[in-house]
Amino acid sequence: MCLGIPGRIVDRRDDRGLPMGVVDFGGVRRECCLAYVADEANVGDYVIVHVGFAISRVDEAEARRTYEVLREMSQLDELDWMREVADQGMSMLGSPADPAAAARETGG
Amino acid sequence: MKYLDEYRDAALVRGLGERIRATATRPWVLMEVCGGQTHTIVKQGLDELLDDCVEMIHGPGCPVCVTPLEQIDKALRLAQDPRVIFTSFGDMLRVPGSDCDLQQVRARGGQVRVVYSPLDALALATRNPDKQVVFFAVGFETTAPANAMAVWRAKELGVKNFSVLVSHVTVPPAMMAILDSPDNRVQGFLAAGHVCTVMGWTEYEPIAARYRVPIIVTGFEPVDIMEGILLAVTQLEQGRAEVENQYVRSVRREGTVPARSLVEQVFELVNRKWRGIGEIPGSGLALRPEFADFDAEFRFGLQDIMVDEPAECHAGDVLRGQLKPFQCPAFGSSCTPERPLGAPMVSSEGACAAYYNYGRLRREVGATPRAEWGSAESDSLTTDDSPLTTDDSPLTTDDSRLTTDDSLVTVPVPEVPR
Amino acid sequence: MTASSLAAGPACPLPIAEVERVQLGHGSGGKMSAALLRDRFMPLLDNAALRRLGDAAVVPVATGQIAVSTDTFVVSPIEFPGGNIGSLAVHGTLNDIAMMGARPRYLSAGFVLEEGLSLDALDRVVAAMAAAADLAAVPVITGDTKVVERGRADGLYLNTTGIGELDPVLRPSPDAVRPGDVLIVSAPIARHGMAIMAAREGLAFEAQIESDSASLVPLVDLLRGDLARAVRALRDPTRGGLASALNEIAAASRVGVLLHEAGLLIPDPVAAACEMLGLDPLYVANEGVLTAFVARDRAEEALAALRSHPLGANATIAGEAVADHAGLVVLRTRIGSRRVVDMLPGDQLPRIC
Repeated sequence: MCLGIPGRIVDRRDDRGLPMGVVDFGGVRRECCLAYVADEANVGDYVIVHVGFAISRVDEAEARRTYEVLREMSQLDELDWMREVADQGMSMLGSPADPAAAARETGG
Repeated sequence: MKYLDEYRDAALVRGLGERIRATATRPWVLMEVCGGQTHTIVKQGLDELLDDCVEMIHGPGCPVCVTPLEQIDKALRLAQDPRVIFTSFGDMLRVPGSDCDLQQVRARGGQVRVVYSPLDALALATRNPDKQVVFFAVGFETTAPANAMAVWRAKELGVKNFSVLVSHVTVPPAMMAILDSPDNRVQGFLAAGHVCTVMGWTEYEPIAARYRVPIIVTGFEPVDIMEGILLAVTQLEQGRAEVENQYVRSVRREGTVPARSLVEQVFELVNRKWRGIGEIPGSGLALRPEFADFDAEFRFGLQDIMVDEPAECHAGDVLRGQLKPFQCPAFGSSCTPERPLGAPMVSSEGACAAYYNYGRLRREVGATPRAEWGSAESDSLTTDDSPLTTDDSPLTTDDSRLTTDDSLVTVPVPEVPR
Repeated sequence: MTASSLAAGPACPLPIAEVERVQLGHGSGGKMSAALLRDRFMPLLDNAALRRLGDAAVVPVATGQIAVSTDTFVVSPIEFPGGNIGSLAVHGTLNDIAMMGARPRYLSAGFVLEEGLSLDALDRVVAAMAAAADLAAVPVITGDTKVVERGRADGLYLNTTGIGELDPVLRPSPDAVRPGDVLIVSAPIARHGMAIMAAREGLAFEAQIESDSASLVPLVDLLRGDLARAVRALRDPTRGGLASALNEIAAASRVGVLLHEAGLLIPDPVAAACEMLGLDPLYVANEGVLTAFVARDRAEEALAALRSHPLGANATIAGEAVADHAGLVVLRTRIGSRRVVDMLPGDQLPRIC
């Protein structure tokens, strides 16, 4: 089961023995139970939250490392990348944001 | 949102798609277990990126979909009780019971409330001492720690008017039931990243070894799914069958130990019925006797309710990946999202609902040819054969499981021209 | 208990409440009703037609045909970040009139009050209505008030009806869209619905999300005159969100609609709240967003016109009408894949899966 989203702990407190805290999800804040990450996560850390409970601390170092490997591994070759960028800049009216890129695209 | 947005990077997703296509020398069949993963695949059209090299079968990873009919009926009974405020996650509200659903009960005056967290339901109980608050504790292992904590706290704080209706299921037995099925076509799995966040991945190691299937612990964003698929295809091409962790930012091998610990203290493993599939031994969680006071089935005398599933709904075959939704005779006719027969049509992750919406495009318009991916011109109609018309394994109603032995299970690979 | 005994002096047996509240007598048509109207509604909504307090208001209209729209507002809670049911009800009906290309001229307001509603809350609602109506220069010319027993009406239900004068040229219609027409969305989406969600008990989250409830009349005014002939359809996507509005147009015009994910703006906290609850922003209500289908050759101009106003500063081109898949709305994701965006059977529900 699924819907777990990452958020940053901005506050910690104790509710009659239960570790609770406020987690910020990109501007939305909610009170969450931190009991399961109490020993490893503090204010400023990112956690994965599911139904109001932090179920793990985000391993930021691992995340950064594997993301970089991923980016390198999956780099499109340069021509494809430029085409990608040109398409995203193209308005609905068919006039490209970058005429040079469009020329590249139609040219080959 | 950090740790979310970057895993939706379009260029990265497309790049991974290229890598998968470059790695696969033949088509492979994978199953993603979790409903949230199905949701991403369907919503982002990741199937289209995989073209003909990987077929994704949507697994029974929707705890809403697999909640047995009798648990829904018990929920409806409780919701109609004037002493009860029935609380639930939003997903459950439109799941059809034998004659109505929770939303309809609410319309008729039943007190039914959607909550985000089981602790909200507990708080509701303390604020409404003259009512009985029941929480519908549905979910896989991901949600068990939250539900366990709600029950634990209720006991600790002496809250007398709170109880839970439990319908918890666990993933590994379900995966094995699928692999044991004589018609199984699944060659590798994307395991549910948040289930594994809690439980770790040790339970999957014997499964990978015994059935010779790669199992990749995978996250939920498009980049995660594509990376998980790439890892699975790479293993399959290399003839390996191991558990690998794609979702490194959240999952460790041992999982989240304090969570597992409390789950073990509050719940015990039992046999559970899965809607449309039948009973899978050791696949469910129930409250331990020490917490029986908080079990709504005992408090309200519902233990003996047994309900048979209607024959017309083929949810079970769909959930086991035996049947594609459009192969079900009721699909799109007597069963639609507006009037669903079974849960896979109701739940947003259910395979039937996903196919109904997403599949319409394929049937009515055709797949987007890859040449048009980069074009900003208006999409033109194609006449590609819809992949939904491939002849798949026929409907089988034989639930007998293979005799277990440790020999390699080989899955026949269809001959497809390259 | 009659209205007159309530109006009596020290002999009144009712305990003195700390907060003044609506009572059943306020809806009975007697002295209490009159006092409510005189002391709370009139000072705020005052205008010549209303002052006459006839059974019906009599007002002039300039055109042979008029646009009439009615809407009943039942939002709960009645007060939320960015507004209350009063401002919502005025903006909503003004917008419905404006979506026909018409100029709103008059409003009516019918109140159903729950016994026990605080009079302070009622004041705030009426004040917001008045402010919204004044800003648009559209008077509330007639109204009605009823009171129902405690437990009904969620505090307050409000119906507004609007009357508008048709524009000679700007006559958009949901069935007038043709393949090639361009879709413009005037502002970021999903704000209103998520602001309401955040204010609801049971979900308990805080977010800096305000409802976008606003009158779209100034934006529509920018599309009159020379541009008007190129404006095929106008719609404000309220309940059911952008997806539902576009589906209705696709069906009415019998065209396909291709929506580009990259062309939609969703503010970060709104997106985050949607993530948390598992909701799709395409189906979340908006109250200050205008969608316009405009002929391709005038689209850039229309976009520039909308962007010249603060309410339209973030207008984007978000899609187009196509000849294919008539009646279906298809989303082109950022990745380049496509999926159908169907109408939902009912409300979106928060999910955990």
